[in-house]
Amino acid sequence: MLEKRFLLVSGKGGAGRSAVTAGLALLGQRRGLRVLAMEMGSPGGLSAHFGTGPLEFEPMEVRPGLHAMQMVRSDALLEYLALQLGIKGITRFGPFARAFDALATTAPGIREIITIGKAIWEVREDRWDVVIADAPPTGQLGSFLRAPVTISELVPSGRIRTQAETMQEMLRDPSLTELVVVSLPEELPVTETEETLAWLAKEDLVAPPTVIANRVLDELTDPDTPPGPVGEAARLHRSLWSEQQVWLKRLPPDHKLPYLHGVFTPGEVAARMADEFETIT
Amino acid sequence: MTRTVLITGAGGVGKTTVAAALAVKAARGGMRTLVVTVDPARRLATALGVEELGNEPQPHVDEPELWAAMLDASASWRAVATRHADPEVAARLADNEFFRAASEHFPASQSYAAADQAATFVQAQAWDLVIVDTPPSGGGIDFFAAPAQMADLVGGRLLRWITGGPLPGRRAFYNLAAKPVLRIADSVLGSDLLERVAEFLLDLRTTYDGVAQRGREIERVLASATVFVVTTSDPAPVREAIKFYRELPGLAVSPAAVIFNRILPEGWAEATAPPGTSVVLEQNLARWAAETLRQRDTREEFSSRYGAHIATIRWSPTPPTDLDGLARLLDDSSDLPWEAVGMRAG
Repeated sequence: MLEKRFLLVSGKGGAGRSAVTAGLALLGQRRGLRVLAMEMGSPGGLSAHFGTGPLEFEPMEVRPGLHAMQMVRSDALLEYLALQLGIKGITRFGPFARAFDALATTAPGIREIITIGKAIWEVREDRWDVVIADAPPTGQLGSFLRAPVTISELVPSGRIRTQAETMQEMLRDPSLTELVVVSLPEELPVTETEETLAWLAKEDLVAPPTVIANRVLDELTDPDTPPGPVGEAARLHRSLWSEQQVWLKRLPPDHKLPYLHGVFTPGEVAARMADEFETIT
Repeated sequence: MTRTVLITGAGGVGKTTVAAALAVKAARGGMRTLVVTVDPARRLATALGVEELGNEPQPHVDEPELWAAMLDASASWRAVATRHADPEVAARLADNEFFRAASEHFPASQSYAAADQAATFVQAQAWDLVIVDTPPSGGGIDFFAAPAQMADLVGGRLLRWITGGPLPGRRAFYNLAAKPVLRIADSVLGSDLLERVAEFLLDLRTTYDGVAQRGREIERVLASATVFVVTTSDPAPVREAIKFYRELPGLAVSPAAVIFNRILPEGWAEATAPPGTSVVLEQNLARWAAETLRQRDTREEFSSRYGAHIATIRWSPTPPTDLDGLARLLDDSSDLPWEAVGMRAG
């Protein structure tokens, strides 16, 4: 996965998107890559895994060679206007920014294109070997990936349309971009992942994704069930395991990540994820 | 008098299952109960008998006091237009591309639709108890903020932002692009996009009085409801649950309990394997004991920091697939405030 320049990590809410993003970023850093980890949605998850305070729009170095940033739509818009369109002197709270905010709430594709646009801008920078984004959950992935197409349909001409077309090409280029979908071996996450995969295959907006099943239990090799907590824990483990098998068979993942028993802090979770990725990528 | 219970929390924590289990218990206790769900898992929908149903509540074939309904948010949004706008404007809104986008994108729109529908069921006074499984957006907080946000959206705040001042009449509107700010926008977007959006917002604004009034009614229903927050012991849903103690006070409803779902038996935390246990089973106990300890610490921290009433539901390895299974789920619970939903303990 780390051979690509742009990794988009999505998945059902609660499946462990931020942890996987942080784990991949730490692995990249261990391997000496210059990594940018980007929180695209609401703040909290990614910064907790890196053990930093709140992330900011300006990338901050959270480990040597690993930077992390928080997407802030109004900042991304101003940067876009200044750097890519040469429009200066617009402030965050000025009438233009407010009008654009109104647009972003109402017109389809606008808020998503600003977010993807910023990510792709960073992907094209020589500063990073890889940009890893904690992307919106699968429920919102459709409108997100479709944003460049939506904009092209909505806006007949103009600079934003030209750029939307470039973004579309980059998202579709399998040598550049990889979508990672994090799922759990349970009914709702598997159903939602299946729907997402079917939709992705039909729309052809991005190269075929990699599916990761998170919190997968191993099989107990001892069939014994002695009385007391030993047997109770064995029984619980076995029934959870066989329930998981149903869903793993229904949606065979490309990679499995283990259930992390008793791991307390998000920082430990991210480090353990990175260890696991070390063995599979 | 209809009692209302709102089950909130992050996605994937078993909210819908808890809502359904409470409903089965209440119905079996003789209360006429409606459970309103959003997007249930197939097996649960089957258990509730709502697989093929739409917005209309239906009684369960095997449990006459148990009613269930599934919410369709998109239908409810269209209803906003038809209920609160002139027929001509409503028709124009319904096939407007921006209306569709706003109903999809506006963060509170699914929550508003759900709150509106739930309030309608409560106001019908046809049930003793209405249990609402709320959409997970914003960890459930959006549900409470939605009526006010919705009124704000249609009330013209966005429109004023586009025009940068007092609301213009429809005619004055077409000169807007002469303003320097909007000229820049036009050059970026390469079209009359802002004007088209503003025109749509003018239409939407005609629904304001109706939406604002309905919003106040919905808020009254929500304010009189009992709120349960469901979470697992994982950091992400717990972060969402904490929001109810940091952000909800402003919204007037304080949760009656935080229900920790998928809880392991307390006794495992200190348990050790007797001599002669195989290494495999000993290690298995040790890792689940570590997990038990982590769960307990999470609950204790939550309770001491936020003073929340904590209830727990035992981890059931296979999700319930019928009414008996749902009822059994709560037999393995502790400290649920039954009286808050009009039931006696147990």
